[in-house]
Amino acid sequence: MKKDLSKVRNIGISAHIDSGKTTLTERILFFTQRIHAIHEVRGKDGVGATMDSMDLERERGITIQSAATHCTWKDYAINIIDTPGHVDFTIEVERALRVLDGAVLILCSVGGVQSQSITVNRQMTRYKVPRIAFINKCDRTGANPGRVVQQLRDKLGLNAVLMQMPIGLESDLEGMIDLVAMQAVYFDGDQGREIRREAIPAHLQDEAQAKREELLDAASMFSDELMELMLEEGDIPEAVVHEAIRRGTLSLGLTPVMIGSAYKNKGIQLLLDAVATYLPTPMDIENTALDLNDEEAEKTVSNDPADPLVALAFKLEDGRYGQLTYIRTYQGEVKKGDTIINSRTGKKVKVGRLVRMHADEMEEIEEAGSGDIVALFGVDCASGDTFCAPELSWSMSSMHIPAPVISLAIKPVDNKAQINMAKALNRFTKEDPTFKTYVDHETSETIISGMGELHLEVYIERMKREYKAEVEVGAPQVAYRETITRRADFDYTHKKQTGGSGQFGRVAGFVEPLEEGEYEFVDQIVGGAIPREFISSCDKGFQKSLDKGTLTGAPITGVRITINDGAYHAVDSSDVAFQLAAIGAFRQGYDKAAAVIMEPIMKVAVEGPSEFQGAVMGSINQRRGVIIGTFEEGSYTVVEAEVPLVEMFGYSTTLRSLTQGKAEFTMEFSTYKQVPKGLADELIKAFNEKKKES
Amino acid sequence: MAYTSLTQQNPLRVLNMSKDSQMGLVMARAGLGKTALLVQIALDAILRGKRVIHVSIGQGIDKTRVWYDDILQLILQGHSVDRPHELIDMVSRHRMIMTFQASAFSRARLEERLNDLVLQDIFRPNCLIVDGFDFDTADREALEDLKNLMESMHLQAWFSAVRHREDLRVSPHGVPAPCHEIDDLFDTIILLQPREDASIELEFINNSSEHAIGSKGLRLDPTTMMVKER
Repeated sequence: MKKDLSKVRNIGISAHIDSGKTTLTERILFFTQRIHAIHEVRGKDGVGATMDSMDLERERGITIQSAATHCTWKDYAINIIDTPGHVDFTIEVERALRVLDGAVLILCSVGGVQSQSITVNRQMTRYKVPRIAFINKCDRTGANPGRVVQQLRDKLGLNAVLMQMPIGLESDLEGMIDLVAMQAVYFDGDQGREIRREAIPAHLQDEAQAKREELLDAASMFSDELMELMLEEGDIPEAVVHEAIRRGTLSLGLTPVMIGSAYKNKGIQLLLDAVATYLPTPMDIENTALDLNDEEAEKTVSNDPADPLVALAFKLEDGRYGQLTYIRTYQGEVKKGDTIINSRTGKKVKVGRLVRMHADEMEEIEEAGSGDIVALFGVDCASGDTFCAPELSWSMSSMHIPAPVISLAIKPVDNKAQINMAKALNRFTKEDPTFKTYVDHETSETIISGMGELHLEVYIERMKREYKAEVEVGAPQVAYRETITRRADFDYTHKKQTGGSGQFGRVAGFVEPLEEGEYEFVDQIVGGAIPREFISSCDKGFQKSLDKGTLTGAPITGVRITINDGAYHAVDSSDVAFQLAAIGAFRQGYDKAAAVIMEPIMKVAVEGPSEFQGAVMGSINQRRGVIIGTFEEGSYTVVEAEVPLVEMFGYSTTLRSLTQGKAEFTMEFSTYKQVPKGLADELIKAFNEKKKES
Repeated sequence: MAYTSLTQQNPLRVLNMSKDSQMGLVMARAGLGKTALLVQIALDAILRGKRVIHVSIGQGIDKTRVWYDDILQLILQGHSVDRPHELIDMVSRHRMIMTFQASAFSRARLEERLNDLVLQDIFRPNCLIVDGFDFDTADREALEDLKNLMESMHLQAWFSAVRHREDLRVSPHGVPAPCHEIDDLFDTIILLQPREDASIELEFINNSSEHAIGSKGLRLDPTTMMVKER
């Protein structure tokens, strides 16, 4: 059992798609002797890389789910989360970042900082994750680590410093110069297992010295000792340099940059050394939880194994071994046989089997200390839940979860598929908070919604493969919303006297636009015009009205409703009567409040060779996009724009044919904006026709 | 235009750059508010219904955008606007940011980009802001070339230039280095001068080709970098 927290590293590996993170992870596992053979992501051996455990990932060559895996390097215990690179899966990336202490940002030495790296970097900054960068694929034609470092500075605003210098580049990549030890490092033997350190080749001496100066200058900002040694011009011990860089990294003031080629087995061991030397231990990072027994007061978790347990379930997986729940412990220990509490539900959970995961293989363990990442078997929970020792009721601060922006209808092909589909949906919604599902009562269709086309496509594929649920898929629908643009009064009386007990309630007041937030209810009733007990009935009635707007049936947001008058009947007024009165009142106000339809707008970044910039801008313009700006560097251009999601369907195909497949794009949700008049009319017409049909 | 009330009070009215294809220049030492002033000039044009391309050399899109967001917020704080979101939206539709790495910027590149926009009718600018142009290394020819481009495209253009404390060369009209030999290419030159009370004064030279009108008594508020009348 490794209890020394200073020897534990919880790291993530994230990067742009195809910059080689799965290959790198594979190599790390190989060098840390977790696996004994190397499989390529798109290997000819048909086995696929070890971390991509889902068939779908193997087939597409992309990593969809982040598998947590454990390995040991020298005497350090390293937990690695392999994170997906496509932006549609950012909840996976964000969830992984939440439980990590540090990260390795992988960049392709040719492609450099690409749009996805920018997104990932922004997420890492949001969660204050210290990181080191690894410039991969230095063996490829066109490799230029110097340019990538410059991009890290310019595009990501990182204080990036090269820790190494390549010896040869592209197909001549022989090894690298360690700028701290000032030695040449080569990787010999079977799959580069043996490290040979030698004197720096004479022709690189001057350049290495200059690069080292740069490195020391940057590092000295974080260490007075180093600065003094430099002024004295004496010998500088390696340990002093390492310590300065470590401090800079932890304070997010410095980003050490390693180089290599995972595919050619060059530089992996040095990267592992850097992970151990520069990235934080669980104790270096302050994490907070909310105490549910103390009005959600913020508490700092202690990392002390002697304290009561606090652990976060950050990922669920339904594999061949049954349900697996990945947890990260923040303080205390979890042992086999312990009883722990799910602080969201308050339910007691008995810890059965406890395992350390290595992608598909697992190792049974008896206990896990603070700061560790392990998996539990057979525990019922949702991802994002917090587990505590019985005496605590803490919740790890809630994660930033974006609302779904796209939905589509799915229909099972037969009865068997129907049952399997229900199982699959139940699983997916637990695993992924950005994936939602519900049954549309009017059409009886099952609707799934998520963060993008690809996001939903992957779940439909998984339904087919893992659950044998064949479904027919409808056209994707954008999640529209309705809102009001001006204040309007209402005064509505609900009266029903058709035998039996009657219903009576009058509600008066006004609706008005709410700039920030979805709904606000203001009670200005004086003198008991509506009795206290029925005020909440009015609130309930208004909230019900918000589910479906009258223009297109989309949910209504951004409304403040104030009630200031009303009337009741001693016998006929009831909870139901006032709810119905509020619904009627809302309709009345809503019709006069100049309601409009809102649509999701995506922030889109298209990146490609400059020669296609005109074509790219044209394509965005045709899609009702507003170009925010362009960034030009060398022969590469990034176009940033805001484009309505509904116009982005099928854009990848358009972009491919416009640019001969040389440009790519990412998008993420930005905001909701009003739909232009012409389109709004079409939507309303379509909604009315659909209503008539049913 | 619904936002005329915001622009009529703008002290920048004195600039009087009403004709198209005029060139203006803002000069100051580092950190005195060149970008802030350029963004105010751009916003003033946008509020009058013009379209502006902001060319930023050596800075990213986000950084440039933040300048606009911040200054627009300050304008909104000073005036009551019915629907601020519509104004913000209008500004983003009338503005485009083009950023270049210093090595990637050239007249040919710029012309190609502008043509991309104009020929496809994506964005037809009236005004160009060029922030970060390196006057230290640029020669007269390069600038004349740019001036020709502005004239052929009927664009008003505003540049910023950094002056250096140690360089004391000055043109006969009082324009300091590094622009002392090319001052005739500009219709208006604004010098930002720090004053003893920590405010920054705007000194006008060559205002619309009438030489040396001198100071109009405008200054930049050092806390907000907004133009104020004294």
